[in-house]
Amino acid sequence: MEIIIDGKKCEAQYGEYLLDIARKNGIHIPTLCHSDALPGQATCRLCIVEVVEGSRRRVVTSCVFPVTREVEVFTNSEKIRRMRKNIIRLLSARAPKNEFIQKLREEYGLLQETRFAVDEKENCILCGLCVRACEEMGIFAISTVNRGIEKKVSTPFDEASDVCIGCGACAFVCPTRAINIMDENGVRHLWNKEFQLVKCQKCGEYFTTREHQEYMKQKFGEDNNYTLCEKCRKKAAGEKMAECYRI
Amino acid sequence: MSKHGNRTILVCCGPGCLSNHSMDVYEELKARISQAKIKAEVKTEVKATGCHGLCEKGPLVRIEPDDIFYTGVKVSDVPEIVEKTLLNHQVVEKLLYHEPSVGRKVISPKQTRFYKKQMKLALRNVGEIDPSSIEDYIHRGGYKALGRVLSELSPDEVITEIEKSGLRGRGGAGFPTGWKWRQCARMQYYPKYVICNGDEGDPGAFMDRCIMEGDPHSVIEGMVIGAYAVGSHEGFIYIRDEYFLAIRNMSHAIEQARDKGFLGKNILGSNFDFDVQIVRGGGAFVCGESTALMASIEGKVGEPRAKYIRSVERGLWGKPTVLNNVETWANVPVIMDRGAEWFSSIGTENSKGTKVFSLVGKVQNTGLIEVPMGMTLREIIFDIGGGIAGGRKFKAVQTGGPSGGCIPESLIDLPVDFDSLNNAGSMMGSGGMIVMDDRTCMVDVARFYLTFLSEESCGKCVPCREGIRRMLEILNEICEGRGQPDDLDTLAELGEMLKEASLCGLGKSAPNPVLTTLRYFKDEYLAHVNEKTCPAGVCKNLTVYYIDESQCKGCGLCQKNCPSHAVEGQRGQPFAIDETKCIKCGSCMDVCRFGAVRIRGRDKSWK
Repeated sequence: MEIIIDGKKCEAQYGEYLLDIARKNGIHIPTLCHSDALPGQATCRLCIVEVVEGSRRRVVTSCVFPVTREVEVFTNSEKIRRMRKNIIRLLSARAPKNEFIQKLREEYGLLQETRFAVDEKENCILCGLCVRACEEMGIFAISTVNRGIEKKVSTPFDEASDVCIGCGACAFVCPTRAINIMDENGVRHLWNKEFQLVKCQKCGEYFTTREHQEYMKQKFGEDNNYTLCEKCRKKAAGEKMAECYRI
Repeated sequence: MSKHGNRTILVCCGPGCLSNHSMDVYEELKARISQAKIKAEVKTEVKATGCHGLCEKGPLVRIEPDDIFYTGVKVSDVPEIVEKTLLNHQVVEKLLYHEPSVGRKVISPKQTRFYKKQMKLALRNVGEIDPSSIEDYIHRGGYKALGRVLSELSPDEVITEIEKSGLRGRGGAGFPTGWKWRQCARMQYYPKYVICNGDEGDPGAFMDRCIMEGDPHSVIEGMVIGAYAVGSHEGFIYIRDEYFLAIRNMSHAIEQARDKGFLGKNILGSNFDFDVQIVRGGGAFVCGESTALMASIEGKVGEPRAKYIRSVERGLWGKPTVLNNVETWANVPVIMDRGAEWFSSIGTENSKGTKVFSLVGKVQNTGLIEVPMGMTLREIIFDIGGGIAGGRKFKAVQTGGPSGGCIPESLIDLPVDFDSLNNAGSMMGSGGMIVMDDRTCMVDVARFYLTFLSEESCGKCVPCREGIRRMLEILNEICEGRGQPDDLDTLAELGEMLKEASLCGLGKSAPNPVLTTLRYFKDEYLAHVNEKTCPAGVCKNLTVYYIDESQCKGCGLCQKNCPSHAVEGQRGQPFAIDETKCIKCGSCMDVCRFGAVRIRGRDKSWK
């Protein structure tokens, strides 16, 4: 079926999400909590757009809005811009020094927030991607705790988690680089816990934690691949493939 | 007075009366009656029932069929009731209800305006039966509708009947119940679930609680009928854990219903199976939101999800689910019993039937009431509610729970139905109704509700979590006298964004208290921001109490009632208030009979 986004005709599958359709057609909609690997967070609300069906005009969240009818979409109407500006304003009051939010603020021509009390050290916007990533890994070391304005992401009781393997997936998916992860002298510091880093058997660089390596072995069986860093693993895979075709 | 047949004494054991020791009254009555050996002509049975409604005057005791209604009954009154009423057929004058509209005491509840103007459908059995007795429920026609549905009607006919009745969800949004069931019935994948939402979390609301405590079987019967209609075999009743009596009565009722064959396999020989279990909620307000509630049943964090795909399609564990509120379920057996035509003759064009409200705040008769849709606010507050407590002036009524809106005096003749309330910027919600008098500061009210919501928002999406937080920050500053000129615009703009961009109903309705007070009481906001004064004398930083010497008669009542000894002077002479000692509680103003206690702003030049 065909839908119209900002005046442009776009091909769409039944049930496809609006944000995906827009991106395929080169239409920019800002997002923070969207990750192609972990879609459907719908928490930052930056991707709101207006959908018009007949006389009905409504604001929807494009990352989770499935297209089921031929509709017209406005991603940048005056109303959407005004509301999006207010969302960015709220985000920049929460994490005023964050580079990603500063970039958004500039894109929308907003000044540094002055009306509200701000915490200069805050970077987390509580999108929940880190928690999702940890769940997908099968670890469940972190979660959002509390509710309302007291909400935060944490390990149980803010203590070093028994189950965290230090894989760093949480920090990897974080859209605002809010998670403190630090590798120093063969030790990784993450979520109030220290992890021994292991070296790649080929290049000798530190690349992940011992716990992570053990976890992968347990989950997928013994495989030499887990002793190599990502770069060397790719290289090894490439060499293997090349060998296959050489025959 | 009847001298034949049985006599029943109904002791209200609803939440209000229980906290005033009605259980002791019940025990004492039972003990005294067996002691007095009322062998006489009348066999007397004492029952602990659900809420009778007039909580303000509790504990309440009703004697049937004599039609006597006692209020404010204490344990020490019991001997007199037994001696006079039960043995000698006399009424105990001092326990009768004083009906203000006729200016005298009345014997029967039917003579009171509080009861006369009500119409009880969802509450039909509450206060009339012993909730722990399934026989009581059956005796009043319970499970009759279920029998008829299972033996005579197809699921489709049941849905058609509910559609024709015009029943809309009583939990807040007012979604047409029949339409919801029809959509779920169409889904061709199984299992399907039905859920009863008993996670009543609005401050001051206790409608669902009273139904679950006082008439649990009507909810169960409604759920079995609903399950039959949509093709579900498993149901859940989600009750907040604080409602321990509701959980106890409901559990007991489920067991009884299983024993009698109203739940379980092959219900009433119809080949239809359905069973239900209770899930105890942790007490998060947001878990009253349907998708958050389902997440909570699944054992996940109680956070809502986007609802572009509805729960009737993919709800609990991704399966088709019908979720209705306690009151909605309780209405179902009545509709099936008395017919859609009869039900739809009650109410307004788009809001059929009745609605239960918990009427609280600064009103004479606080309590639980049920009225036909379309009754005006004036009738509810002034006729049923008996007007404003302490003879003060009505200022506003807040409907729809913490995220409802405040409706001003100019709209007092507004009919109470789903659409009229929405148009006024408020909502029906689950039926909380909080009455406010002229000593209420509307900015402070908005602040109160936002404080509640800031703690109870799940915090998942940015607009709700951060929006409420910043709106509250502004309101706090306004109340403390640090409001800035463009704060009102900021509030309105943030409010608009929250309404549209939030993930769930909580965030979408959260700005209502602010937006409605801004709309109807803008002057009060301006007084706070520009003149640094609180016209109602509530915001402490903005209020200075003083005594107008020309009005003061020197009676000394203010001095007597001041808790901080801030009133100085001699009787017979005009008094004065020492600002340094005054804690701004307003007691002096409340007691002064001459209007001599006044309020002025923080800035002393302003009067």
